[in-house]
Amino acid sequence: MSMLERISKERTRYILFFTSTSVILITLGIIQTLLFEAIAFFSEVANTRGWFSFTVNLSGVASAAGLGALMLIGCAALEWRMRVDPKVLIRMPEKAMFPPKSAMYGIVVIALLAWVLIDSFVLRLVLLVVLFMWRRAANVFVLLPNNNADKSDRTVLYALIGGAVTVLFFSATKDYGGAFGEFFFTTQWTPTGACADRRALCENMSFGVNSLLLTTIQVAFGALFLAVPLGVGCAIYLSEYASPRLVSVVKPTLELLAGIPSVVYGFFAFIYIGPLVVQFGEYAFAQGWIDAPPNVLNPINGAIVVGVMILPLVASMSEDALRAVPNELREGSLALGATRIETTFRVMIQASLSGILASIILALSRAVGETMAVTLAVGTVAVYTSNMFLPAQTMTAYIAQRVGGDLPFGEIGYMTIFAVGLYLFVITLCLNLLGNKVLSAYREAY
Amino acid sequence: MKKDIDLLKKRNRKRRDLMERAGSTGLALSGFIGLMFLSVLVWQIAVPTFIEGETGQIEPASEFIPVSEYVLKWDHPTVDDDGALIGDPVVLELTWDDGGTERTHSIAVTVTSERNLREDIVINASGVSTEAVEVGKKTKFYIQSSLEVPVDIHQASGPVPAADETGSPTVSSFVISADVSVVVDDGRFVSHPLTMVAWLMLVFVVALLSFPMPAVLSAMEALLNRQAAVRYTLYGLAAGTLALAGFTLEAWLGAGCWTMSAVGINRTLQGMERLKSQGRDVTQFDRLKHSITNREGVLMWSRMLLVFSTLFIPLLIDVPFLTERYQDIFQPYASGIRSAFFGTIWVMGIAMVVSMPVSIGAAIYLEEYAAPTKTTKLIQALVTNLAGVPSIVFGMFGLAIFVKQGGIGLGLGPSILAAGLTMGVMAMPIIVLASQEALRSVPTSLRESAYGVGCTQWQVTRDHVLPSAMPGIMTGSILAMSRIMGEAAPLVVVGAAALVLFDPEPLAGLLGGNKGFTVIPIQIYFWTSEPEHAWHSMAAAASITLILLLAAMNSVAIVLRQHFRKRLNS
Repeated sequence: MSMLERISKERTRYILFFTSTSVILITLGIIQTLLFEAIAFFSEVANTRGWFSFTVNLSGVASAAGLGALMLIGCAALEWRMRVDPKVLIRMPEKAMFPPKSAMYGIVVIALLAWVLIDSFVLRLVLLVVLFMWRRAANVFVLLPNNNADKSDRTVLYALIGGAVTVLFFSATKDYGGAFGEFFFTTQWTPTGACADRRALCENMSFGVNSLLLTTIQVAFGALFLAVPLGVGCAIYLSEYASPRLVSVVKPTLELLAGIPSVVYGFFAFIYIGPLVVQFGEYAFAQGWIDAPPNVLNPINGAIVVGVMILPLVASMSEDALRAVPNELREGSLALGATRIETTFRVMIQASLSGILASIILALSRAVGETMAVTLAVGTVAVYTSNMFLPAQTMTAYIAQRVGGDLPFGEIGYMTIFAVGLYLFVITLCLNLLGNKVLSAYREAY
Repeated sequence: MKKDIDLLKKRNRKRRDLMERAGSTGLALSGFIGLMFLSVLVWQIAVPTFIEGETGQIEPASEFIPVSEYVLKWDHPTVDDDGALIGDPVVLELTWDDGGTERTHSIAVTVTSERNLREDIVINASGVSTEAVEVGKKTKFYIQSSLEVPVDIHQASGPVPAADETGSPTVSSFVISADVSVVVDDGRFVSHPLTMVAWLMLVFVVALLSFPMPAVLSAMEALLNRQAAVRYTLYGLAAGTLALAGFTLEAWLGAGCWTMSAVGINRTLQGMERLKSQGRDVTQFDRLKHSITNREGVLMWSRMLLVFSTLFIPLLIDVPFLTERYQDIFQPYASGIRSAFFGTIWVMGIAMVVSMPVSIGAAIYLEEYAAPTKTTKLIQALVTNLAGVPSIVFGMFGLAIFVKQGGIGLGLGPSILAAGLTMGVMAMPIIVLASQEALRSVPTSLRESAYGVGCTQWQVTRDHVLPSAMPGIMTGSILAMSRIMGEAAPLVVVGAAALVLFDPEPLAGLLGGNKGFTVIPIQIYFWTSEPEHAWHSMAAAASITLILLLAAMNSVAIVLRQHFRKRLNS
């Protein structure tokens, strides 16, 4: 049967197939659009400033960052050994893996002290990684008799090696320049510059996207800080405690909260939350905790409003995860004499952890991509500062604000929004892929 | 068992009790904080507009009245009962270009306290029909031009149209106060007689389908042999209504009423015919009612159409803020969201037309046809991930593909069409996921029994799976549309304008014309960005309008879902 005959015989099938390929077309279109203009941007900058340049600074390796890299390499070696031959752990004393309770408290106190005392941000992160690896080794240690640890998953190993290489590179170099160096590693974002002609690239323009990225991270994690305790708490209450009647009231309300447009949230932040945050900021300024008087538009304002926006998402997804846990687990725990709160925190949350984690990751992705509320709440001044009471600009807000002023095709400003957009797209795509992977893992489990 | 509750000391038991109580209270509290945010939000938006009843100052004269063919309406008289002037006289200046020379006419408008007094102004090549008009308060009158060139209308003095006697209307009067005319207003029907008859017909059909009355059914028996004639008469009436009533909203709704009546009567007649062929009494139609009307949702759709047409055919709702006023750059409190409202409707309409067939087709393919090959898995993964892509990225996609010229850009410009296409692309993954969910919930036994009697795959899908999944698909699509309706970020990128003083032209991107458009969320965004506080009140009013519109759409989705559930249970 020729291809043509097959198509004419099953034309419905092929028509439907072509409708579904439009999804591929759209994805390709998005990637093509962003990539095309972003490449144009980088090559435009590279024409005058080169692609990537840095100066080597070997003395940096001897600093805290170098130590961090060394520790990461050690962790990677341990991970590799554990994958190749888990029996290497047998030699370890059990006390080292599962210390008594008093020693555990001691370790927690030491870790907290170290977190406060250590000056370098990198070392703090490495400290967390070391603790994580210790618990991971303990996990493998317990599983040894069964020897069913999954040997094929090398994500952690690659992440550790990648982290070590990155830390080593950044400790040994400084003064980044060129198109990529400037965009990804510097913090000055002045894409209009003080130039006579704003259309073409000029000397005063600077494209350090970290200024936008920092605000995005501040807003997104601030939002999580608000939404995760409230949302997960709400989900636990709804699935474990609330009467069906209460659930039938609260769930639609959460849906309603999720259905309110983001621009209305932005308006709400602008007229209500902003002034409240300023009141607090003025107190902080009077006490000398911050070095500049607060502004109505600030990342805290944005974090609060985005937190409210993603709260329904976290709550409903976490509730789904908790409801998916088989009832036997709950009943078994209660039958053993645990109270409901113990059952909730020691059984239910453990069992649905990956589902809750997925909801948090997807909520983070939503918070990073949120635009209108953030544009209205955070402001339009791109500054790199840790003072969260000053107006700043997120990546999405930059795109929305810049494009609002009617950008002609092909000028440098038009290209920058696509470079920023591509970065944003990649970040949210990674978060979504991770979130969906975690989500499918827990769907398989139950 | 260390943890056994019997081994615990009394003190520890008490501690555990306390923990239990504190824990559950804390968890409940965390849920209620979310609700508290909602109430604070609604309260904060409602207070400045409705409760405090904020008023604004309207400055007379130098008014900017935007378009040439204009409908005017003053809410309060400019003269008292003896004919003496209250405040400034209303003077309109009409200017147009007459073959190189500029012609100017001024017209004095007197607004009396009598209602329904109407006098239109006609402009033709010889000039203006009158120098002075006398109209009643709250009465619309028109300026009609037969010239080829646009006519500029400026108001030289006097209170602005639709303001109260002090010239300072309250914001609440723009949002809440709606004139509802019932059947007759100004001495004539509010709608075309044919649409009224259509509405009555639909009332009859819904009543017939809900409670089949034997008397009516036996009267209808005479029509049994003339089914086609009845059907085509009703379709003809639909077309006639459209043509005679002039393609207005009422006309479309009236035509919809005729068509729905045709479908309803046709189903009834078919049922009666079946009863007759079985040798039963045709008046026992209620036995067949469920199988004839409920399966295809005829009754449900008729009821929904009835609700909508009741709002616009026998009742005529007139909300100036929503459907009459354009934005007024000098006077926040006299502004409305007419262009934004129609822009929203057009953008959503185009998005729906573009995305629904494609996404439902894709969902059917993925659920019913596709073998689990690599391509299928790729498409599925792409759909899942596209649903999580930030909306502003879709806006940039639209900017590069639909708006700009050059490369693979279509060059539609910042127009309604480009916006609708962008929004359609954005809605696609959401609709695909919702439709897949709905298709998945159709029991496999249904498919297998259909295959068992020898149906082809497409027949199974079309006749058995799709009808069962349709309510779920519709619910998902409506929810996707309501999400689109509130989305502003992609349209900021596509290039929605801050100030649009005309009704949007949906095909301007292709055919040329005024491309500018705006939607309600964009209007809220720009009004919030204004420094003046008065605009923030207008943004609040627009926000509430938007939330109400979304709530209306979501309640349609809920009606559908309920209908679906009821059918599953029966």
